[in-house]
Amino acid sequence: MVDVAVVGAGQTKYGNHPLGLKGMWAEAALAAFESVDGDFTPSQIDEAFIGSIAFGGSQLGNTAALLTEHSAMEGVPVRRVENACASSGFAFRDAWMAIKSGQADIVVAGGIEKMNDLTPERKRFWLGVSGDTEWERLAGLTFPGTYALMARRHFHEFGSNHDDLVNISVKNHAHGALNPLAHIQKEVSFEKAAGGFMVADPLTLYDCCPTSDGASCVILAADHVVQQFTDTPVWVRGSGAASDRLALHDRPSITQLKATAEASKRAYHQSGLNHGDIDIAEVHDCFTIAELMATEDLGFAQRGEGGLFASEGRGILNQGDVTINSSGGLKSKGHPLGATGTGQVVEVFKQLRGQVASDRQVRDAETALTHNVGGSGATCAVHVFGRDRQ
Amino acid sequence: MTVGADVWKGYLIAWDDDYTLVQSPFTNDMIRVFGADSDYTTLAIAALQHRISLGQVIELISIPEGINESAFSMATGVVVADDESYEACEWDVMIGDDATVVILRRNTTVELPVLETQVEVDGEFHDAITSAWKEEMKDVHVSQGAYVSAAQYNEGAVSRMTLLGQQFGDSLVWPPRQLSKEGAREDGKIGLVPRGIVASWTKLSAAGAPSEFSLRAPLLGGLTTVLLDLNDGPRGVFLMVDDEENGVKIGDNIELVVRRIYAQEGMIRYGLRGRAV
Repeated sequence: MVDVAVVGAGQTKYGNHPLGLKGMWAEAALAAFESVDGDFTPSQIDEAFIGSIAFGGSQLGNTAALLTEHSAMEGVPVRRVENACASSGFAFRDAWMAIKSGQADIVVAGGIEKMNDLTPERKRFWLGVSGDTEWERLAGLTFPGTYALMARRHFHEFGSNHDDLVNISVKNHAHGALNPLAHIQKEVSFEKAAGGFMVADPLTLYDCCPTSDGASCVILAADHVVQQFTDTPVWVRGSGAASDRLALHDRPSITQLKATAEASKRAYHQSGLNHGDIDIAEVHDCFTIAELMATEDLGFAQRGEGGLFASEGRGILNQGDVTINSSGGLKSKGHPLGATGTGQVVEVFKQLRGQVASDRQVRDAETALTHNVGGSGATCAVHVFGRDRQ
Repeated sequence: MTVGADVWKGYLIAWDDDYTLVQSPFTNDMIRVFGADSDYTTLAIAALQHRISLGQVIELISIPEGINESAFSMATGVVVADDESYEACEWDVMIGDDATVVILRRNTTVELPVLETQVEVDGEFHDAITSAWKEEMKDVHVSQGAYVSAAQYNEGAVSRMTLLGQQFGDSLVWPPRQLSKEGAREDGKIGLVPRGIVASWTKLSAAGAPSEFSLRAPLLGGLTTVLLDLNDGPRGVFLMVDDEENGVKIGDNIELVVRRIYAQEGMIRYGLRGRAV
């Protein structure tokens, strides 16, 4: 079967972006086109998948067609992929499958979200649309609340504590401070992160990702055309995805994301790699507890020991077993919902090709993993990448 | 006659063979007032649930204006009399002007006791909550982002107010789902005991609250939600009653009682809320 590689990737800066949907997408697409080493024109694209929640409803229907129209991809078969915060993780998987199936050779996967052009009132109301509307939402829960329930239960079952979460926040802010495309390029002290405004007990402001504007775009190619574009492709070694019950109360456990465990198992199996082989992991830390649980669900830490993993600094850039969220993660790089999944791919593409500044380069990186979660874990896409094809 | 009151579903209660009196425990300037999540409908539901808990068989009952017939009937399973069946009723619901409801056997004269217990609430807070509910009841008050239509609410309302679960083989399920993991339809319905243990909890700041609660959450200082391991097995998430500052913690015993959840497009949506016991 055909192998698939990433041959180009680009993104906007995340944060309060001055441009709207069309401008941001054009910026990300252009960055991806220009990142291709060899000759490339958008007319070569066979298919496109763009992840977005269409936050705010400014272009709720046919979002993707509007975006391709404004990025020299007019006429390309395109669709919007929606899986909450995992929208572009799944867009990437769909692009990978399109090539794997033999129906396409060159495919674009991307994502976008414009979140900060809404009034604060409207913005916060749109933040709660991807959970279980009928039961969780009417029990007063939005995502800070659902993740807070997970955190408190994890503390109770395993003896983890808020200091563990603070360590994750401090790490990701330190990484993000080095990333020129990050929303929050600022380190934060342990004391400050520990004493933040309480958003959803026990989670404080420093446990929560910001709401960011942003777009990201990735170009995938089939093995038989890769050489046209680059000598240093980043190979997609494994793609795994899974779903779980939408509501927390319908899950046997709320201290792990079953979809993450299942998706990573599939991706590892396909790649021939395991957690111990991974050099860089971009994990979905929409809340610090999400990273803590992800380190367990992805196999980097034993079950219940994600807190210990964090407090021992085992995810810190070039210091631990694996560099977790070299970009700053959702916590610091930012979380433009639909753009996050392919934004993670942009980071590992640059890292594996040695194209980031030396102060934030993961040394000797050969492999990477991206982990993109929808909502509180109802959907998850995990991808494993390598500089080597096999 | 002044008597000490028992507590039933978070309300004060007194009863004998011919009546059940249910009253809000809250007062403001010595006048009985509703708690933040209560109204005549929730008091009437509690009163009828009490009669039923005594083994009283009530198949038909009359209710006055001011009680939501649909919610009352769904929460209790008792048919509300219309003009034609009114004469056949053996029990009537009556409401006072002081957060009091009585269910009385027809053609019976009783002397209702005065219940002593009073929990004085802050007048400013009470007025603000009352105003917020009025505002929330306006037709124009519609949630933003996500939206639960009246039809969608009604589809699950009985389960929401009575904890009516489903039997799928050996498994009890709540809230309702369409098919089992194996793709089978439910074998039948079963009422779950409205009690559970706190498996986790959080207090969400007002700024993070869903828009359905946007008017009241700031007054309450946020929303407290509990994830319960229900005594019969399933799990559920519930708001706490009146958002009491009761220091809920994992392992606490919680009773579920019918209260107002929110209002939208002129319709109050009722459901179960948690109350520490």
